[in-house]
Amino acid sequence: MANTQNTELIFGLYDDEEDLLRAVKSAKKDHLEIYDVYTPFPVHGLDEVMELEESRLHIAGFVYGAIGTLTAFLGMTWIFVKDWPTIFGGKPYWSVPAFIPITFEMTVLFAAIGMTVTFYLVSGLGPGIKNPQLDDRITDDKFCIAFDKSIVNSGDAESFFKNTGASEVNSKNI
Amino acid sequence: MSQYKMTASTRNVLFGAIGLGLVCMVLTWFGDDGNHSRFWSNFLHNSLFFTMIAAMGLFFNAAGITAYAGWYTTFKRLWEAYSMFIGIGLIFLVILGLGNYFGWHHLYHWANKADVETDTILKGKSSFLNNNWYLFGTIIFGGLWAFLAYRMRQLSLTEDNHGDSSFKYHKAQRVYAAATLPVIGFTSAAMLWLWLMSIDAHWYSTLFAWYSTVSAFVAMIAITILMIIFLKFNGYLSVVNSNHLHDLGKYLFAFSIFWTYLWFSQFMLIWYANIGEETIYFKERYNNYPALFFINIGLNFLVPFFALMRNDVKRKIGSLVFVSVLMLFGHWLDYFLMIKPGVLITAQHAAHGHEAATEGAAHGVEHASNFVAGFTMPGLLELGTFIGFLGLFAYFSLWILSKAPLVPKQDPYLEESIHHHVI
Repeated sequence: MANTQNTELIFGLYDDEEDLLRAVKSAKKDHLEIYDVYTPFPVHGLDEVMELEESRLHIAGFVYGAIGTLTAFLGMTWIFVKDWPTIFGGKPYWSVPAFIPITFEMTVLFAAIGMTVTFYLVSGLGPGIKNPQLDDRITDDKFCIAFDKSIVNSGDAESFFKNTGASEVNSKNI
Repeated sequence: MSQYKMTASTRNVLFGAIGLGLVCMVLTWFGDDGNHSRFWSNFLHNSLFFTMIAAMGLFFNAAGITAYAGWYTTFKRLWEAYSMFIGIGLIFLVILGLGNYFGWHHLYHWANKADVETDTILKGKSSFLNNNWYLFGTIIFGGLWAFLAYRMRQLSLTEDNHGDSSFKYHKAQRVYAAATLPVIGFTSAAMLWLWLMSIDAHWYSTLFAWYSTVSAFVAMIAITILMIIFLKFNGYLSVVNSNHLHDLGKYLFAFSIFWTYLWFSQFMLIWYANIGEETIYFKERYNNYPALFFINIGLNFLVPFFALMRNDVKRKIGSLVFVSVLMLFGHWLDYFLMIKPGVLITAQHAAHGHEAATEGAAHGVEHASNFVAGFTMPGLLELGTFIGFLGLFAYFSLWILSKAPLVPKQDPYLEESIHHHVI
C-alpha cells in the first residue's frame, strides 16, 4: 500500500499466523479499522477475512497481453509485407504460421512486464524507493496488525492486542 | 461415504442411448457401399476415442499417485472406473485387428497385400505396419494396460476394507503407478501410430501420438467434470466441491492450450522445414474439409481459451458443464478429422481396384472434394453412433462405480483432498 507521510501507527506482533487470522476476524467484529497487516509470507485465507477486494491485476494482464499480440502481429506484418518485403525459404511475404510463435512470445512478454510494472506502481515499490519498516522481524517470523492512531484510539488498540494474544505492542511514526 | 446405486431412469436413458447407437450402426451398415467403410470407420473412430479416454483415466490416476497428489482423491474412483473400460475398448480394437486378416474392412492401406508389393514406401514400413503388429500389439500392450488398471483398482478397493496406518496397499499402488507411466507413455504412442496415424499410410509425424493423446486427455477431463456434476445432482460425492471442479477446469483450460500447441507445431515443423511430401495430411484436410478444419481449431482452442480464462467460470457448474460438453464433442470431432479423410481415400482406392498408389491417392483427393455422407461431415448416423458409445461408456463406468464405495475411505490422501482449497 502506498505510504502516506507521518502516519502515527500502533501495531501488535503475533507469533503465529493462526493467532493473526483470529485477531483480524475479531477486529472486523469490533469494527476496528485496520491500517494494514504485514506477514513474512502469504497467509492462506487472509484476504478473505480482511474482506479485501479481488485484485484487478489479471484484467490489466489480459489487456497487456492483447496489446502484445497486436504489436507483434501487426508489427511483423508491416515489416515483412510493406516496409522490407523479404522471402524466407520460398514462403509468401505474409507467412502467418511463422508469425505465430513470436506473437505468442510477445503476448507473454508484454503481459509479464506490464503486470510486474503495474504491481510495483500500485504497491508503491520500486528501485530506489525507501520503504519504512515497522519492525524488521515482520520479514522473518512475526505477523503484524497495524492501526492508524488518528482513527483508532490507543486504548482500544492496546486492549485489542492484549485480548487477541499479541506478543508485543509498539508505536511508530512512518 | 455412500455407495452409488443406479436408478431405473438413469439405466433406461443409458440403455436408450446404447440402443440408439446400435440402430444407427445397423442403419449405417445397410446404407453403406460394398466395403462398409462408413460403418467400420465409425466403429474405429468411437472405439478408439473411448479407449483412449479410458487409458487417459488410468494414466492420470497413475501420474497423481506417483506425484503424491492428494487433490483428486475424493473422486479418484471415477478414473479407476474409466480405466476398466480399456477391456471393452480392446475387444472392439481386436475385432478391427482380426478384420485386417480376413478383409472385413478397408480402413488401412497397408493391409492391402497387393498394394504393399508395388509401393516402396509401404514396403519399407511393412515391418511395423502389418496385421500381426496390429493385432498382437493391441492384445499385448492393451492387455498390459487393462491388467495394470485392474490391479490398481483392486488395490484401491482392498485398501477400503483392510487399509491401516502402514499404508501397505497404497505403497503397492505406488509401485504399479510407477510402472504404468512408462508402459502407457511408450506403448500408447506406438499403438496410436498403428490404430490412427497409419490410416494415412504414407504420411507420418513425430508429434502425432502426443497430439491424439492430449486430445483424448482433454475429453477425459471433460467427461470427468460432467460425471462428477451428474453424481452430485443425484446426491452423491458431497465431499467434492467447487475447489475440485476449479482444478479440473484448470486442467481443461491448460490442456486445451497444450492441444493447440501440438496442433500447430505438427503443421509448423512440416511447413517451415519444407517437407513437401508430408504436407499431404494438411493439404487434404485444408482443401477438402475447410469447415471441419476451422471448426476444430475454433471449438477446441478459442472456446476454452476465452470461456475458461476467468476464475469464477471454473467454479460455477453451469458454465463448466457448457464448456465440458463442447470440449467432449470438439475432441470427438478432432478424432473424426484424423480418421475420415484417410479412410475415404483408401475406400475409394479399394473401390476402384488396384491402381498405382500415388495415382490412387490423387484420385481419392479428387473425389473427396465432393460431399460424401459420413466422411466429409458427421451426419446424424455418426452422431447417433457417438451417443451410443457415450452411453456404453457412461453405463459401464457407473456400473463399475456402483460396485464399490464412491469415496476411498482409507486412502492416505483423503483428508487432504476433502480440505482441498484453491483460492
